Amino acid sequence: MSTVPEAPAAPIGPKYKEEEEKPQATVSKPIKHSNVHILPQTPQLIALLTMIRDKSTVRGDFIFYSNRIIRLLVEEGLNHLPVISSSVTTPIGHTYSGVQFEGKICGVSIMRAGEAMEQGLRDCCRSVRIGKILIQRDEETSKPRLFYDKLPEDIAQRYCLLLDPMFATGGSATMAVEVLISRGVPEERILFLNLIASPEGIRSFAERFPKLRIVTAFVDQGLDEKNYIIPGLGDFGDRFYCI
Amino acid sequence: MDSFYKSLNPEQSAQAFRNEYDFDSPSSIDFDILVERLRDLKQGRKAEIPVYSFEKHQRVEKTTTIYSCHVLILEGIFALYDPRVLELLDMKIFVDTDVDVCLARRLARDIKYRGRDIHGAIKQWSTFVKPNFELYVEPQKKNADIMVPRGIENSIAIDMIVKHIQRALLSKSDEHIKTLQALGQGYDADEPLPANVKVLKDTPQLRAMHTILHDEETTREDFVFYFDRLATLLVERGSDHLAFKPKEVVTPQGITYAGLELSKDVSAVVILRSGGTLEVGLRRVVPDARIGRLLIQSNARTGEPELHYLNLPSSLSKDSVLVLDPQVATGAGALMAVTVLKDHGVEEERIVFVTYLASLGGLRRLTKVFPKLKIIVGKIQEEFERRWIDERYFGS
Repeated sequence: MSTVPEAPAAPIGPKYKEEEEKPQATVSKPIKHSNVHILPQTPQLIALLTMIRDKSTVRGDFIFYSNRIIRLLVEEGLNHLPVISSSVTTPIGHTYSGVQFEGKICGVSIMRAGEAMEQGLRDCCRSVRIGKILIQRDEETSKPRLFYDKLPEDIAQRYCLLLDPMFATGGSATMAVEVLISRGVPEERILFLNLIASPEGIRSFAERFPKLRIVTAFVDQGLDEKNYIIPGLGDFGDRFYCI
Repeated sequence: MDSFYKSLNPEQSAQAFRNEYDFDSPSSIDFDILVERLRDLKQGRKAEIPVYSFEKHQRVEKTTTIYSCHVLILEGIFALYDPRVLELLDMKIFVDTDVDVCLARRLARDIKYRGRDIHGAIKQWSTFVKPNFELYVEPQKKNADIMVPRGIENSIAIDMIVKHIQRALLSKSDEHIKTLQALGQGYDADEPLPANVKVLKDTPQLRAMHTILHDEETTREDFVFYFDRLATLLVERGSDHLAFKPKEVVTPQGITYAGLELSKDVSAVVILRSGGTLEVGLRRVVPDARIGRLLIQSNARTGEPELHYLNLPSSLSKDSVLVLDPQVATGAGALMAVTVLKDHGVEEERIVFVTYLASLGGLRRLTKVFPKLKIIVGKIQEEFERRWIDERYFGS
């Protein structure tokens, strides 16, 4: 086995608890880039990640627990969308000055693993339009190649939530962003939602697209010699759809 | 008091079946257990009352649970006998009835309900009942506050007793309401809430959801969708305050990850009816949570919260417990709910109270009475607001 880069560990728990009362666990590596947003490392999130990382977790549980993390990612991602002021009357006759959503959105999943995140998106945005992009590794050149895409026609007017659960080297994510940009989507209207990222991949991605925003649940220790994220969780698509 | 007969040993039991055991002497009553249960009930705790089988002359396995009663009547021929019991009673009544009527009633009861024959019943009467009445029961008259001759026929005496109890209840509920009002007063308006009150981060999405939920023109379909979405977030945030412990797992890559897992099972307690609105959110996060229910309603006349129904999982005292109620106004219902859980053996620090709209005053009361309780709030209201979320959500 290759040497595993060090993982940061921290006591995890709410502020009102004494440090020694909090259980210790491995947390996400920090990323300095301001366009990378890592979900707060709460005990509940770490427990969910622990479930889906465990190789002995059965598929039903894997689906359930990854869905919960995905919903949290979507909720955090949606917070980056703009809102405008709006005043309403409440059922008991008070005036409530609030806000309303502004602008249209769509989801774009990178097949096949990204499609596993569609349910979580729909849990938060009922009738959201969803486009798909199929990118696969070309056997001859060993570079990612675009095989198929089907995107909403008015995608250039929409905010795009790009869905891909695992971010290793970022080859397909980079290509997907390029496809979106070529369809007229401004970089600043793309939000990339991801469960687990490799530190090296996410840094170069964040630098390459500085206006794009990345929301991830966890930045892992690194990549192994086969470019798998470690400790990772294995092949997300396989664990969600097949195994 | 029949519930507190002592279980008989085999020899006594044989005597009892021959109608030779003296059930009418104070020594047949388990006063120690009686006093203990009465003390629990007077302190507002739950009490398990034994069940005695007259067919077997044994205490049976199951018990009757008594909890949160407004008026407790202790009835029996030795109710005014033990000085420890006398100390706990608020009103002591001796109901006197003609001795012929006593015998007639006794015969009817023993033969019809307690499986005895007429000879046995009469034998008991003359050997034990009558002599014991003179020896033990009659002297208890001097311990009574009120004597009621002629029993049930004496409607004037009964009416006076009822009025006295009603007055006592009313002054108790006045006092309760005054205590509730006194809590949460005398705070500096700017004083921050303690760290165990966690308000959802005020994000643009959350504000947009608040707006949709507060808009009277929102359709019910939308209301339910957005409320479920928000409830899910509330329960997710609530879960952060449950108990966790370290857990190491091996990933499919063969590498160990030092993570966490819940260290206790999760139960939920729904405060009816409003709490039902948070159940969809609960199921999305903890689909297998054991769920208990409490129905607490404010008395329309006095405004005092009252517990009408209670059904709690037996595992509650071992679990982490989420309490669900979408609105906290005065906090009286919430205070009662947490008290009920503590009375059922749940430690305060294991309770996470999940609510959507909470008034500042209600939260101050709750945290003052229960400093270790964790509270997850969607949005804080400056003022008390009547309940409306359940009406919108359920459409009735």
